[in-house]
Amino acid sequence: MQHDDRDGENAGDLDREAPVCDRTRDGGRAARLLATVLLAAYAWWAVGLAPFSGRATAAVVLGGAAAMAVGARERQRRRSPRAGDTAGIATWAALAAIAGAWQLAAYLQHPRADHPTLSSLANEVLDSHVARALAFIVWIAAARGLARR
Amino acid sequence: MTRLVTLLGYALLAVAAVGAEVAARRRGSGTCGDALTLALRSRLARFILLGAWLWLGWHLFVRVDWG
Repeated sequence: MQHDDRDGENAGDLDREAPVCDRTRDGGRAARLLATVLLAAYAWWAVGLAPFSGRATAAVVLGGAAAMAVGARERQRRRSPRAGDTAGIATWAALAAIAGAWQLAAYLQHPRADHPTLSSLANEVLDSHVARALAFIVWIAAARGLARR
Repeated sequence: MTRLVTLLGYALLAVAAVGAEVAARRRGSGTCGDALTLALRSRLARFILLGAWLWLGWHLFVRVDWG
C-alpha cells in the first residue's frame, strides 16, 4: 500500500511538472520561430545588397560566422568510426572526384551555353530575389550543420 | 559535348548521390553525413571545407551582379 501511495505522490508531482514542461517546450518553439523569421529577414536583406560591395561581403561573412558559432556550440559528441564508414567515405570521395572532373571539363569548354558549369546553372536558378534568399538560408543551415560535426 | 550531355552528366551524378545515400541508410553506415564526420576529423579537411564553403557563399551572393 505504501508503494501505491508513493506512486500516487509521484503522479501528483508529474501533474504539477507537466505545465512547466509545456511552457519550456512552447518557449523553445517560440525561440525557433523567432530565429527563423530573423534569419529569413537577414537573408532577404543580405542578398539585396550591391554586388561586389564591402557591405555584401561583410553580410555574407558575418552571417556565415554566426551560423558557424551556433553550430560549434551544439557540437555533437564524436562517435568512433564503424566498419561501413570507410567504404562509405570511398564512395563519396569517388563521387566528389567525378563531379569535380565533370565540372572542370565543362568549365574548360566554350561557349558556356553549351557547356554549363554548376556556377552558370546556379546563376539561372537564382535569378529571383526569393530564390537567392532561400539559397542563402540553405547556405547558412549548411554552415551550422558542418560546425556541429 | 553539348548542353544536353553536360546536363545529363550532372543529373546522373545527382542520382548516384541519392542512390549512395539511400543504400548507406539501409546498411546503417557510410552516409554522406558519416563520411563528412570522418573527413572532418582532419584539421586540414576542416580548413579546406571551411574555405570552400566561404568561397561558395561569396561566389553566389557577392560576386554576381543580378542587375
